[in-house]
Amino acid sequence: MELLAQQILNGLVTGSVYSLVALGLTLTYGTLQVPNFAHGHLYMWGAYLSYTLMSSAGFNYWAAMAVSITVLALAGVALERLVFRPLRNDSPVNAMIAALGVMLFLEAVAQNIWGEEFRHLESPYGGVVSVFGLLVTAHRLILLGTAAVLMVALLLFLTRTIAGSAIRATAQNREGALLVGIDTNRVAMTTFAISAGLAAFAGSLVAPISLVYPSMGAMITLKAFAIVVLGGMGSVPGALVGGYLLALAESLGGTYVSATYQDLVAFVVLALVFTFKPSGLFKESV
Amino acid sequence: MRLRSALPLILVAAAACSSSGGGNETVTIGFTGPLSGGAALYGRNVLDGLEMAAADINDAGGVSVGGRHVKIAIVPLDDRYFPNESATNAKRLVHQNSAPIVFCPHSGGILAIQGFNASEPSFIVGAYSSEPQILESGNPLTLMIPPKYPIYFDAFAQTMIDSKGKRLGRIPGAHAYAKEWTKGFSAVWESKGGTVLTNNEIDYNTTTDFSSVASKALSEKPDVLFVGGPSQATALVIKAAREQGFKGGFVVMDQAKFEEMNKLVPMAMLENSVGVMPTVHHPDFRAARFVEKYHLKKGADRDPPREVSLTYGAMRVLARAMELAGTATDARAIHARADEAARTLPDEFKPSELLGVDATGHMMQTTVAAHVVGGKFVPLYLKQNE
Repeated sequence: MELLAQQILNGLVTGSVYSLVALGLTLTYGTLQVPNFAHGHLYMWGAYLSYTLMSSAGFNYWAAMAVSITVLALAGVALERLVFRPLRNDSPVNAMIAALGVMLFLEAVAQNIWGEEFRHLESPYGGVVSVFGLLVTAHRLILLGTAAVLMVALLLFLTRTIAGSAIRATAQNREGALLVGIDTNRVAMTTFAISAGLAAFAGSLVAPISLVYPSMGAMITLKAFAIVVLGGMGSVPGALVGGYLLALAESLGGTYVSATYQDLVAFVVLALVFTFKPSGLFKESV
Repeated sequence: MRLRSALPLILVAAAACSSSGGGNETVTIGFTGPLSGGAALYGRNVLDGLEMAAADINDAGGVSVGGRHVKIAIVPLDDRYFPNESATNAKRLVHQNSAPIVFCPHSGGILAIQGFNASEPSFIVGAYSSEPQILESGNPLTLMIPPKYPIYFDAFAQTMIDSKGKRLGRIPGAHAYAKEWTKGFSAVWESKGGTVLTNNEIDYNTTTDFSSVASKALSEKPDVLFVGGPSQATALVIKAAREQGFKGGFVVMDQAKFEEMNKLVPMAMLENSVGVMPTVHHPDFRAARFVEKYHLKKGADRDPPREVSLTYGAMRVLARAMELAGTATDARAIHARADEAARTLPDEFKPSELLGVDATGHMMQTTVAAHVVGGKFVPLYLKQNE
């Protein structure tokens, strides 16, 4: 029983990270129909920036995270303006190839700056606390809480604000949105900014419980794609729920089936979804 | 990467020019190993040991062979840890640079090179891998540098059973080397009357969070946990277990190094672990002298990893074997004198005690492991013959 509870807690922590990354991916896909393969690499950059600001510039954890999110959001805007917008009217294959190029570029630059070594960001909240008899570090609880707060904020933004409605309208029908006077270019930029900012946020949250290295984005990109397919391409609730579902499936599968196949769970889930419900669990739009 | 791999060629060209001009001879010693990708740091460290030895030898005038002084030029090529590229690189080094010795720091590459190093043009493969298989093929021109890994089994198991208990939980890496280690060590643990629990093998390179695998292993109430993969990831496994209240000991596979792990986790978390002795804490006086030399060259804040000290020793042994054999080019003659070279190498050239080279081509040395007690590395002396 205690093991089950512990694994659910572990699954929720990993799930928060997965959901945040998948959210960004699904947003860009829903609004722009661009499968951003470089998304996990933005997450890696977010982690590196926070790490560098904390270890070299003496920033505190939250300040470093804020700067990292801002920088990545700007990078997201640049990415949209310089890479994806010029390709908008071309075949979608071009955008995909461009995304792959961005991915390789980001990894190579990171490797050049920070080298191949694994880095570790020390959390200021390293203490261990006991929750209902389960031992967990304070950082993991903070991760759970802040991720949840941010997800709620994002949902409110998308449903209760004009900018959010514009994003949803563009996702539903680009021409229609243009006709009613929505500046779809601005929507595209906002979406990329939010998406990259979310990735930086997730990267900075995960850095203290994991390692930071140039290829850390590859696996998370794969998982995020699995989640987005699971939840339905472009669906925000799908990405939220899918992230937690996948992480729970991994931690419980790792416990009751075999730890060796933990990473395989994502792909089994993906195969099942493709076989039985190719449109994803939450088909209905944003 | 292009530039880095081209650089040595330029150096060789420069060396060749100087040899025609100044009457100085140069012999190329090849290296093929990972210089990019995840294992780049490891490859770099192995190469560092070779380059340090070559620089020291050249500063002292080079290798004296039949009255001539031959300088050593180390030519490194990147193989990104792929055995097929190691083979290609070795061929290039032998055919283009006439290297009589090629070093390789991974068993896959070594086995690939062993397919052709004994036929003409023959060359010695300087094998930096603790995989016993590389000697089992009976290759006549192999020099295996580190101790074979089964050397650790007995002392690790006995120390932990005596100090912590008989239940062994396992969270090893999923790569081939870790699989073999786990199998061998588990057998020794059971032969000593210990209980071996579930094997929670996990990919150390792709796992984001080790806490769920740690929870699973700890649910079986182990006294000791077996862990092992790259140092940093191994440190995270240890951290995850300690944070969930694990009070027992750790058996750390020889791939992970305490000095690296200690950068991520405090010594208190490593308490009651057995693993490889950090070179800085090695009890041998020669090791202390080597550490001093390394600090002078690389800065006082950088401690020499074990790879550096072992390959430094190997390069020194082979250079001495060249002198004894009176040739810097005949691989067979050099290999034949390696044992005598290792036994007669002056202390100031050795990073630790060297006992010789056995008939299979294994460099024999006193091996010391470490048991962390009270935050200190207590030496565990291991028998060379396993």
